[in-house]
Amino acid sequence: MGNTKQKDEIMLKMRNIHKAFGAVEVLKGIDIEVKRGEVLAIIGPSGSGKSTLLRCINRLSTIDQGSIDIKGQCLALTKPSGEVEYARPKDMRKILSCMGMVFQQFNLFPHMTVMENLLEAPMQVKKMPREEIQPLAEELLKKVGLYGKRDAYPAKLSGGQQQRVAIARALAMEPDIMLFDEPTSALDPELTGEVLKTMRELAASRMTMVVVTHEMAFAREAASHVIFMADGNIVEQAPPEIFFEHPREERTKAFLQNML
Amino acid sequence: MDKLLNTVVLMLEGSEITLEIFFVTLILALPIGMLAALGRLSTIRLLSRTVEFYIWLMRGTPLMLQLLFVYFALPMVGIMLPDITAALLAFSLNYAAYFAEIFRAGIQAIPKGQYEAAQTLGMTPAQTMRRIILPQVIRIVLPPISNETINLVKDTSLIYILAMNDLLRVARTIVQREFDMTPFVIAAVFYLAMTFVLTWGFKKLEAYYGKYEAEG
Repeated sequence: MGNTKQKDEIMLKMRNIHKAFGAVEVLKGIDIEVKRGEVLAIIGPSGSGKSTLLRCINRLSTIDQGSIDIKGQCLALTKPSGEVEYARPKDMRKILSCMGMVFQQFNLFPHMTVMENLLEAPMQVKKMPREEIQPLAEELLKKVGLYGKRDAYPAKLSGGQQQRVAIARALAMEPDIMLFDEPTSALDPELTGEVLKTMRELAASRMTMVVVTHEMAFAREAASHVIFMADGNIVEQAPPEIFFEHPREERTKAFLQNML
Repeated sequence: MDKLLNTVVLMLEGSEITLEIFFVTLILALPIGMLAALGRLSTIRLLSRTVEFYIWLMRGTPLMLQLLFVYFALPMVGIMLPDITAALLAFSLNYAAYFAEIFRAGIQAIPKGQYEAAQTLGMTPAQTMRRIILPQVIRIVLPPISNETINLVKDTSLIYILAMNDLLRVARTIVQREFDMTPFVIAAVFYLAMTFVLTWGFKKLEAYYGKYEAEG
């Protein structure tokens, strides 16, 4: 029973999210909910607001209206006055610390070796001694197949290798939720496979994931739920087998036809 | 031969003040420049504008004028500084302004993604600056800092107007006394030697801080 409860735990809940850049409204009232172990894939044409939505989850962007709960804790809410209030700095750090993020451009620290990239945050932020975090870091590097590159600098690695290191770096902070912002979009086509494989393995290990992606094959195979966004709205959402086999909306059909 | 040796010894003594101005200015101006750069980039508008004004003032007037001002004008309002202190004050404030702009450009050259990556890993702004941004900034600013540092070696000769016996002033005194141009040549060799050491040192530093770059 306890197990089921854990499985159904709501990890991320966003309600009525609005966001504008100047006069341009990029999110027009988005609701999403992600349970523990679920993989939510967000797809859509560029400019649809999907990356902005993802960045709102961990406050890289702030919202103009709506509410965000992470693991039942309130990150942001809208007061009756219409003003958005974020959690106090100390609570916010704690709430945000359960999320890791992987970027389109990897954003590895170029002046640190692969191993140093993984050790940096646990040692600086969690104040863990090196010998305590090193075993986990080594294990993560083995998992992404880059243990042999632990002493290399990022510039010596291929894009695919860099992105796998970036995934390992985020995992070294032991997050409960992983956010991926178009993790394969900056890669040569022949390098996307290795990154997607790492992400599939992560999904198989029941990591809660929110993935903004153009990889339809990944969304179809690894996602538990697919959201299609356009013009700041959710056009359609469904489990992947239904979404890809029987899309209802014309907009979705047109998009999928273009992508496949 | 004895005469030449005597000249060289005199000029080595003159080099002492030159080197003192050089090193003390560098040691003071680098941290002041870094602080000024951070102030210039601050979101506190008053701070940012104040630093901007300071930089404009220092870069917009001749160093020679600033030296004369500190040396002659400050005593008129009751601020008496020892000669060397006055010179160091002018030099440090002047070079700090140039360094500030170099550091600012270096900090702004770091991609936004580096800040975001650090932020999503839970690092504080101070940790991000110290551990992630500044080490990369050092690599970027080394060449322009090297340039300014070499300029400084030569600018130290401006203190001759404050009647301090630096390398160039000693050389000139000997030339005027003995009608022999050799001291000028020796002075040139001294400046070149200092510049050579600096160029070599900065090359080493660039190699060290650039070790993470793809080639090499």
